[in-house]
Amino acid sequence: MHRPAKILMALLSAAVLLATSACSPEQPAAENRVLKIVYQKTDSFTALDTLFKDAKKEFEAANQGTTVELQPIEANDDDYGTKLALALRSTETAPDVFYEDTFKVRSDVDAGYLLKLDSYLEKWEDWKTYNEAAKAAGTGDDGGIYAVPLGTDTRGIWYNKKVLQKAGIAVPWQPRNWDEILDAARKMKAADPSVVPFNMYAGKASGEGTVMQSFYELLYGTDSELYDQQEKKWVVGSQGFTDSLAFLKTLYDEKLAVTPAEALDANVWKKVFGEWLPQGKMGAVVEGSYSPSFWQKGGSYEWDGYTEDMGVARFPTQRGQEPGGVSMSGGWTLAVGADSAHPDQAFQFLTTALNKKNSLAFTVASSQIAVRSDVAAEPEYLAANPFVKDVSELVSVTHYRPATADYPRISSAVQVATEAVITGALSPEAAAEQYDKTIRDQVGDAKVLQK
Amino acid sequence: MTTTERTARQAAGGRLTPPKRRPRSTPADAALLLIGACFLLPLLWLVLASLDTNAGYQTRLPEDPSLTNFAAVLTPELLLRPLWNSLLLSAGTAAVTLLAAVLAAYPLSRFQSRFNRPFLYSILCGTCLPITAIMVPVYGLFVQLRLLDSMPSTVLFMAATALPMAIWMTKNFMDTVPLSLEEAAWMDGASGLTALRTVVLPLMRQGLGVVFIFVFIQTWGNFFVPFILLLSPSKQPASVSIFSFFGQHGAIAYGQLAAFSILYSLPVLVLYVLVARGAGGSFALSGAMKG
Amino acid sequence: MGASKPFRQQLRLLPVVPAVLLLLLFLAAPVLWSFHASFTNAALTGRNARNPAWTGLDNYERLLTDSAFPASVLLTVVFVVASAIVGQNLLGLLIAGLMTRARKPVSAVVGTAVVAAWVLPEIVAAFAAYAYFSKDGTLNQLLAGAGWSGADWLYAFPMVAVVLANIWRGTAFSMLVYRAALADVPQDISEAALMDGASGWQRLVFVTLPLIRSSIATNLMLVTLQTLAVFTLIWVMTAGGPSNTSTTLPVLAYQEAFKFGDIGYGTAIASMLIVLGLVFGIAYVRLLKGDKR
Repeated sequence: MHRPAKILMALLSAAVLLATSACSPEQPAAENRVLKIVYQKTDSFTALDTLFKDAKKEFEAANQGTTVELQPIEANDDDYGTKLALALRSTETAPDVFYEDTFKVRSDVDAGYLLKLDSYLEKWEDWKTYNEAAKAAGTGDDGGIYAVPLGTDTRGIWYNKKVLQKAGIAVPWQPRNWDEILDAARKMKAADPSVVPFNMYAGKASGEGTVMQSFYELLYGTDSELYDQQEKKWVVGSQGFTDSLAFLKTLYDEKLAVTPAEALDANVWKKVFGEWLPQGKMGAVVEGSYSPSFWQKGGSYEWDGYTEDMGVARFPTQRGQEPGGVSMSGGWTLAVGADSAHPDQAFQFLTTALNKKNSLAFTVASSQIAVRSDVAAEPEYLAANPFVKDVSELVSVTHYRPATADYPRISSAVQVATEAVITGALSPEAAAEQYDKTIRDQVGDAKVLQK
Repeated sequence: MTTTERTARQAAGGRLTPPKRRPRSTPADAALLLIGACFLLPLLWLVLASLDTNAGYQTRLPEDPSLTNFAAVLTPELLLRPLWNSLLLSAGTAAVTLLAAVLAAYPLSRFQSRFNRPFLYSILCGTCLPITAIMVPVYGLFVQLRLLDSMPSTVLFMAATALPMAIWMTKNFMDTVPLSLEEAAWMDGASGLTALRTVVLPLMRQGLGVVFIFVFIQTWGNFFVPFILLLSPSKQPASVSIFSFFGQHGAIAYGQLAAFSILYSLPVLVLYVLVARGAGGSFALSGAMKG
Repeated sequence: MGASKPFRQQLRLLPVVPAVLLLLLFLAAPVLWSFHASFTNAALTGRNARNPAWTGLDNYERLLTDSAFPASVLLTVVFVVASAIVGQNLLGLLIAGLMTRARKPVSAVVGTAVVAAWVLPEIVAAFAAYAYFSKDGTLNQLLAGAGWSGADWLYAFPMVAVVLANIWRGTAFSMLVYRAALADVPQDISEAALMDGASGWQRLVFVTLPLIRSSIATNLMLVTLQTLAVFTLIWVMTAGGPSNTSTTLPVLAYQEAFKFGDIGYGTAIASMLIVLGLVFGIAYVRLLKGDKR
């Protein structure tokens, strides 16, 4: 009877293999707590990794008996979000402290993933130094605070002074309304047809970049809005929406921006930062306050000349009406997992990571805008790059995305609308209509407000 | 050479008399060379771009050929450790798949039963499913069984996804080995599995190599599964690091990405050459696809 | 042997057990879960993340009203027919046929070139194809050399680009299958037909093809199923764009499940993909039944 025995042996070894790989190392003894920290790390974004490594050293030194386990996820924003979402689904894998995008806070609060921090924040001295807008960034629908921001950003017009001067436009440049932007762009085109005068992202390929760095600067500068905060409903049929699409269409039709084909390449932003602006092939782009992080020493597209050649201007409102400028803010936060086995220690670690010293280092390394007033006053922060003051001033006219659970779909519908107009597939009116219809289909008539 | 061996060799595709010579046609040569050139073109770009520090998307000879791109990407974290992880995962998956496939194919091939065909076709339909579709439940499964961040478990999962095709191919290779040989072995007193090991498998060596490399190649290129199931950066394979490299620098550093791609593809190409040479210089799927 | 007959018969199936265990645990179970999830509103985030509720056929009804879905099905069918059934299949047959007539060294070299594209890891192939079809890529370079102006393929004709890229990548498989099949074709029948006055074309269609009929059907089935699952190639080349003009079902399912976190809807799309695979599969099985021994 050799055969059955052999078969049994094979099955047994397979079972043993499965069993041994299934047995993970036993949890450490009760005295040794382990805090799991999950965050994003990429080739160009290592500031957070440095921050957490420093915080880990500090924290473990001050808290014997607790180990901090850092689990960076090396991926782009989308894939990071996916992996984090999967980890949050079950208590065994949910991290204690993690890096969370502001625009996901509300839907993750709905899902029950984030710990309410109000009682902890009351007792944390440093919380008083955070400005009001920052406190709003981590707020859930119930008014409680679920996340602490690491920094914030704004958006504005980044222009290459040399290109503008060649076209006879005075610097520093500050357009007061949409028409002045178009005028300046046309001048630049006339002076040098090979230059891209004024670029604004559009289309699905640039994802959130299309809406945060382009469309919303237009929409929020009109009299209309995307979301009615009072009614908690999405706005459809607004004139401002159509006007914003029309502006983009003009920009692309008159070849004042990049070609539609280039706009629909997800990698276009790399060319903006890495080639066109440094080489003087682009006049201006609407981009974020984090732009210096690419050009400064250690950035992905190092460019020494940026401090002299670049300038920052506020994006104007449609007719120059109050408040005279528009900006959008996003940013990332640190949150504590609702299922954390050691919430007190987790919050302690969070405060260590966000203490003044670490905050300052992170803010400077990643060209963030400080959300702590004490960091904002530090000379090191103010001297980090010549644009700190300009971009920080934009906070006064900034808006935040209505980051509800439905938001990703709304954002996608807006991106689709911009793509339709710049490719000439639809007129601005038709694209706006299509947007309205899509929104109604996706979120239901109850959540929609006709204006 | 025993009678058995001679019959076996004939069955495995060798001939006892040389084949009749066909007239060699030059138009056929020309057409083939044209087709071959078309296939090589994108690869040619890859090679030239990797040697060019100023690479663009055009295929052109580098003005100043150098190995700078290679040097830039040949770092332990970026390339060497991920390549090692890829090797472990791919070789492990191919080995496990081959073992399970051979065991499964044996009864399917030798013992006629009305369940054979439905079983084969139903598992074959599994190959049309993109693995991304089942990653959420697989992740949940791994969490419950505490198998996350474990190379052996990831190997088992990838083997499971490679099994349908592997069983199909192995069974068809096995069909080409005549039953008469095993019957002869049984007559001599060998058990079923011994016959499998000593008679059938040696004659299927070509086929086993084909299945091994097929699974190896698939696993080598798989990005999503290891990305989701492995957590520690030190366990990530090269497919994950090249994917994030492409995302980060793809639009600008073409040359470096080309160099990275070549280094990443080399192990698979080398393996293919080795297996093909072992299979007598021609990588034919003889008998694999009789249906 | 000694053991009783029924026991021995059961034992004969034992070697299948390891494979079946792996398949059940890691493939069948997740597929069933996914199928179940398509009837719920499971999500990665938001209210339904931890407690998904049963929604019945809601997701499937949404498939019918969503304009992206029928477009995606059409694109998938076009992709499969053009790149697999026509492209890889015919090109593989052509190459294999030419190889029976060409000189051995030429066959060997070309065979290696064709297989190299197949052996390459998918993301490298995708990147090479992306560079090739770019506006300033090699294809336009060649066309310019011949005096024609090239288009921006990835933007204006994304389906053409991904179909050609998939043909480039996968033809090797068909070529290998047909090489083996043609090698088994007895030359005497073909030569007898030649002596009867049949032309090359007639010999091909009436003599050779019928003889390799089962290989053709099998090959079609395998390349169709493999092509249905293609994701990375399209994702890296065009990300399904522009404006969803190259969003096949796998790309759509990925977008819904992971970009929007809507697992319920994403798995419904994946279920439809399996249905499509079954439709193709059943068609081929019928074809194969035609001449089962």
